[in-house]
Amino acid sequence: MDVFQAIRGRRSVRRYKPDVVPKKLIEQMLDAGRWAPSGGNIQPWKFIVMTDKNLLELIRKVSPGYLGETPLAILVCSDKERAYKIGGALGRDYLSVSDCSMAVENMLLAAHALGLGTCVVKSFARIAVKEMLEIPEGIEPELLVIVGYPAQEPKPPARIQLREIAYLNKYGQEFPIDLEG
Amino acid sequence: MSEDKPTGNDYLFEIAVFLATSAQGCLNEPPLYGPFRLLDALSKVADFPDYAAGLDRDPFLKEIKAIVDEKKFLVMYDVDGFKRAIDAIVERFSKELKKRYLPTK
Repeated sequence: MDVFQAIRGRRSVRRYKPDVVPKKLIEQMLDAGRWAPSGGNIQPWKFIVMTDKNLLELIRKVSPGYLGETPLAILVCSDKERAYKIGGALGRDYLSVSDCSMAVENMLLAAHALGLGTCVVKSFARIAVKEMLEIPEGIEPELLVIVGYPAQEPKPPARIQLREIAYLNKYGQEFPIDLEG
Repeated sequence: MSEDKPTGNDYLFEIAVFLATSAQGCLNEPPLYGPFRLLDALSKVADFPDYAAGLDRDPFLKEIKAIVDEKKFLVMYDVDGFKRAIDAIVERFSKELKKRYLPTK
């Protein structure tokens, strides 16, 4: 799949089929994640893959933003100690979050290209998730990616027009746009 | 996704966890997530008779649940539509309240 097709076609899916996601596809998603850009090459990410039905059910119960049921979820965490060691306070407080976000976007696009649906969840009870997954101090859950085969094709959400957000050479100066939609 | 159907107590506990974690989330989440979570809770509460012995399924709540489940995701892409849907749901409740408790003479 062309990268522009993947970017334009990806949606946040909230209804899934129960079909299991093959391990090979999970690995491809994780691999896409680890090739994301990383400030100072910190690579602060840790990926916790969840496929156990009971565990997924528990995680869903403490995650109000986990809508629908999926056979797979991946919790993307940041290693704050590593980020601080390599990147100082900037690494710990900002780069670790932006790096994990970029890793997640890579994973979402890879999943879409592989025919999978995803939704990124931030609305989860951090304390409960840390407890259930036995996440040690210094490792911070950042984003939960729920994954499965989509049972719906969501409508594209509205996007702010490019002309309203893109400027040329200085803030507020029009960037001439030729692209439509 | 669990194999066994939850008992009434299990389901009640699940709703309680949902409410507690939602309350925590609503401290910092976008304001519209509040009404969204409440609608989601309404949808879950409407299912309670499926799990709790002694409760009858309420056809009106079943109908409301279907509307909620169809409309709640409007919050993601059509905020005005989401607000209109909530208004319409409250209007349905108002009419149902009148029908149930203020019968015409």
